[in-house]
Amino acid sequence: MSKTDAQWNAAPNFPTSHYVDSRLYTDQEIFNEEKEKLFRPAWIIACHESELAAAYDYRLFSHPAGVPLIIMRGEDAKVRAFYNICPHRGNTLLYDPSGNAKRVTCIFHQWSFDAHGNCVEITREEQGYQNRFCKKDAGLREVKCEVAYGGFVWVNLLDDCVPLREFIGGALDILEPFMREPMEVFHYHKAHIHTNFKLWHDTNSEFYHDYMHYFNRITGMLQPGYFERKYTPFPNGHASVGSMQIQYDKYEGSKERAVGWPGLARGGWYMVDLFPAMTYNLRTSVIRIDTSIPLGPNDVVIEFRGLGLKSDTAEERAQRIFDHNMIWGPFGRNLHEDLLGVTGQGRALRRGTGSRWILQGREENNTIHDEIGMRHYYAEWSKRMGRPAYDPYREGRPEPVRAAA
Amino acid sequence: MKTEQRQAIEELVYRGCLALDRGDYKAFLALCTPDFRYTVAAYSPEIKREMVWLDQDCKGMETLFTNLPRHNSDHSPLTRHATVYTVDADGGQAKVVSALQVFRTQLDGGATELFAVGHFHDTVVLDGAAPKLARRLVRLETRQLGFGHHVPF
Repeated sequence: MSKTDAQWNAAPNFPTSHYVDSRLYTDQEIFNEEKEKLFRPAWIIACHESELAAAYDYRLFSHPAGVPLIIMRGEDAKVRAFYNICPHRGNTLLYDPSGNAKRVTCIFHQWSFDAHGNCVEITREEQGYQNRFCKKDAGLREVKCEVAYGGFVWVNLLDDCVPLREFIGGALDILEPFMREPMEVFHYHKAHIHTNFKLWHDTNSEFYHDYMHYFNRITGMLQPGYFERKYTPFPNGHASVGSMQIQYDKYEGSKERAVGWPGLARGGWYMVDLFPAMTYNLRTSVIRIDTSIPLGPNDVVIEFRGLGLKSDTAEERAQRIFDHNMIWGPFGRNLHEDLLGVTGQGRALRRGTGSRWILQGREENNTIHDEIGMRHYYAEWSKRMGRPAYDPYREGRPEPVRAAA
Repeated sequence: MKTEQRQAIEELVYRGCLALDRGDYKAFLALCTPDFRYTVAAYSPEIKREMVWLDQDCKGMETLFTNLPRHNSDHSPLTRHATVYTVDADGGQAKVVSALQVFRTQLDGGATELFAVGHFHDTVVLDGAAPKLARRLVRLETRQLGFGHHVPF
């Protein structure tokens, strides 16, 4: 039966943990708070160590909290992270997304910095500053940086942040046996999507939408073991999904994957969703990593990486790339569908459309079509934001002034 | 190279675009040799690597096309605009480089946006009655394709 306005806007007949107010995806005030309360204190994947193979290699990263970062390997092989901001007049220090620079020199006034963040050159230093200011006063702002969990470079903007291992809280233990061999990035692309970053994470956190994917229905949902896959929630809002044997040969044009992954059972597939917006996805022969960079309530850039083993032969690498592209490349069967899905959500959830609630009410003993992954995420979201996800303006919080739709 | 032969090669490239634009995949594959190979590639300055984004033989392309109705796809039509720049004949084949622009037109309202730019690097076989595509490498400059697409360029 269709609904009246009052019925449509009435709270769903579920426990409050089982639905979310759609304003979580549209309000600028909430978005601004998320950058400070979710992203700034979180450990975030900036890149992979294989992108910084040699001394002085660097990689730029737009931190989701808004800070531009330089990730750089020093002559001591250690990877460090700095603000990509000159301490002199605030100019951008490095412009290209990657490169090699023994000295980081600002194009504006030629101040130079080494790979440790020390200032090593201030042009006409004595003439301008006499003894009032010198190179030791002009270091770069360094942020916490660790290489871990498969060789990924993790950064944290807080000097007093929790240790990375405590932040992960055991969520990646399920993947650690498969990440002991050095890996290498072979695929990178960005997708700029008009949707909320949480909607992409939601898509990675529930498998009920396999109905959208012909490939997944044929190779997974119709095969034994699919409905036994289980979600495991971990501290800090992370969750993992157990494996099954995917029957790749059931899709016309595909075949059983000829290249596997060390230690992983034939056709295996594990996923780990990390709060607030990262996903590890090991699917038989390839690891895919998603990292989201939110730009606004309905605007996100998603970075996609595909990785193989550093020890791959040319034939093995070509096969991994083929497997990756079949479903996950920009022309892949599944990625396009997933991105279309969240684009549609972004379109329907814009402010003023009349959208009201997002249901997360499926309970199936934490198995694959249970929506526990999303519920677990929004419990953490509510805790960190100090707002219940089902009613973010409760307890006297004023609602933002609504602009005309 | 004779003018007529160059014209025939240019027409092959343009007919391929028109066939793909109208979703006539049989017509497109009819322009290709049985051992046709199609690749989409791009260079990533971020990871400093050549990337392959799609790589299929003729059978793989046929399967990709026949599977399309089973998938959820963006149905906005694409318009491929190619300009043949160079044709270098060598015996029974020619290397052909064309500039490529791909436009996407929204179904609702008909707004058109530039979707991608790049080049076709084609190998054309000249030993039959009409030239045929034996190899197409689509080298993309554009690497942000939004939600992507199921139909290759």
